[in-house]
Amino acid sequence: MTKEKAPKGIKGWAQGRSLWMLHFCTGCGAIEMPPTMTSRYDMERFGITPMATPRQADLLLITGYLTVKTLKRVVRSYEQMPDPKYVIGFGSCTVNGGMYWDSYNTIKRLDLYIPVDLYIAGCMPRPEAIIDSFTELIKGIKEGRFDGWIRYRENIEFYKRNQAMVMDIRKWSLDTELAERIWNEVQEERKKRFERATVPHVYELAERIPEGLPK
Amino acid sequence: MSLEKEQKVVELVKASFEDAEAEVQRERRVKVWVKPNRVFPLVAYLKGHGFNHFVAISAVDWIKDGEIELVYHLWSYSEKVHVMIKTRIPRDNGSMPTLKPLFNQAETYERDIHEFFGVYFEGNEKLDREFILEDWDGPPPMRKDFDTRLFSAEFYDQEDLESEALRLKIQPYKGHLRK
Amino acid sequence: MNAIGIQIGWIIFMPILVIIMGLLYLGAARKITARVHNRYGPPIYQNIIDVIKLFSKKRATNHGVMFSLGPIMAFSGLLISLMFIPIGNRALLSFNGDIIVLLYLLVIAPLGMALGVGEGANPMGTIGIARALTLMLGYEVVLIISALSVMLYTGSASFMKIIEAQSGGVGHWFLWPLFLSALAMDMALQGVLGEKPFDQPIAPHEIASGPMVEFGGKYLGLLQLYHAIAIVVETGIMVNLFLGGGTLFWWFVKSFTVFFIALLINAVMPRFRIGQAFKFFWTYPAAISLLGLILVAILK
Repeated sequence: MTKEKAPKGIKGWAQGRSLWMLHFCTGCGAIEMPPTMTSRYDMERFGITPMATPRQADLLLITGYLTVKTLKRVVRSYEQMPDPKYVIGFGSCTVNGGMYWDSYNTIKRLDLYIPVDLYIAGCMPRPEAIIDSFTELIKGIKEGRFDGWIRYRENIEFYKRNQAMVMDIRKWSLDTELAERIWNEVQEERKKRFERATVPHVYELAERIPEGLPK
Repeated sequence: MSLEKEQKVVELVKASFEDAEAEVQRERRVKVWVKPNRVFPLVAYLKGHGFNHFVAISAVDWIKDGEIELVYHLWSYSEKVHVMIKTRIPRDNGSMPTLKPLFNQAETYERDIHEFFGVYFEGNEKLDREFILEDWDGPPPMRKDFDTRLFSAEFYDQEDLESEALRLKIQPYKGHLRK
Repeated sequence: MNAIGIQIGWIIFMPILVIIMGLLYLGAARKITARVHNRYGPPIYQNIIDVIKLFSKKRATNHGVMFSLGPIMAFSGLLISLMFIPIGNRALLSFNGDIIVLLYLLVIAPLGMALGVGEGANPMGTIGIARALTLMLGYEVVLIISALSVMLYTGSASFMKIIEAQSGGVGHWFLWPLFLSALAMDMALQGVLGEKPFDQPIAPHEIASGPMVEFGGKYLGLLQLYHAIAIVVETGIMVNLFLGGGTLFWWFVKSFTVFFIALLINAVMPRFRIGQAFKFFWTYPAAISLLGLILVAILK
């Protein structure tokens, strides 16, 4: 079997010039989308339109922090999108957790859970930055540089294992057999981590000021 | 600035509840401290006197005292006064009677506090149902002895996975970095 | 021999022409709406790119046989209806009564969609189809009464006869003597085209694009083509009945003008609830079209 490749030529061109975006706004980044869509910055001139359902979409925008609860829905939506599909991580929260670096319920690095093609750093990125990333995405798709969905399919075990560490993947995966198997595999590790993580500890006032970067 | 209407509310509380401590915090704010078993009658009493907007229930974890403070917020549209009824219950196995017979919306706030602080509300039938936290089997996360930083580091840092990702070359596209 | 050759060439050429024109209509619609919203808008050929992209998608979810047959049925139903509608004064099949056949054929497409959506078993799709059929019940009455007044006026139920009766310049168009019927039909056309305020079946913000909710990839591409043909056919009914047909160029100019009016209304209107839309169709347009029919009956 030959290795699947990203579309090039006229297919790639059409793919890039007609990106339909899944309107899945998770965090505060959603507020940057209306100016990008409407008359001030108008992203429809690149052929990018918001779509209502994952079945019709090519581009998944993760606009901001992802709680575990939202991650479940994002994974499900991502798996329902038809190939080829692209993901843009939007804002600092998707890069390293941003201001939610010590939250008990928010993931830090998005590309451990689903393959990310582009990150836009910033808190929040301006619409200019969003338009810039869109033009880069269009250029890259035309040249066949973005292949997130192929990475996801080839390393499905890696991604599923990461997802299983933080959420119950059995309910939220399309491939239920694989999800069941990996879920059973990680149970032991999960339990160990859980025991380590839930040791009662009360912070003193002096301790509350973090020194340097979080561990 | 006169605080007449606030004083009136304080007197109203003291007239029927001698064991309650009430004071005016500032304009349009009245604080009342009562024993846990007196909360229900006090709310019912205030409801009968025009305090018909039940705003919320909030909770504070006083870990050194071993107590959880519950704050019931009531608002009167006619008087324009906000009454905070504060009560303290023990941290371990503490329970409160539900306010559902008085205000239906109390049910939701009680479920919220049950999930995040582990307080049990007697008579609330929906308490055992999942509310906000999905598939959560750890300790209540808003308690002060829950180490959220440790939990986050254990579950979401995943440094070993990051090195694994490097080995598998699972990296986002980097060509866009400005020279 | 030569005539048959032209006929065969037309059979092959006409659907392609209609599809390309329909896609350009849709592209122009997006551009015009964008200009009304004070935006720059996508290029006019954007919908052609969309269709190429949708057909080049690698995978599309399939829920069963009927799910893939539904869009095909809708698409082919419209292709058949192309045989009956004269485009540029040239109809493939013309006989007395083809207007009625066309109005029946227009119903096939939503039914095909309904079958496909039923297999998809998505509640949003079901709601969308229910709304589409309810809306159809609303506008179909107006459409048929308006068409009836034209048939009564000419004494014929054939598109070609009606176009012939209107030949001889702008002054001979039925738009002038049958103004009330034309007005009612234009109102109904807003619903037929599914433009606001009658876009309840699609309604992306409430029911996630309704019937199309489960369709992706090539199925959605087929539905885009279906939509492109549908716009040309539906505006074409108005052009043939009231605006006097015309040569190929003028036919498309007139048809786009009809679409353009619908677009301008679309760009500035919010959406009715389905009940309000239904009530609207059965009050004002229905009353106007009935009045038009009575006037024709008296004057004739």
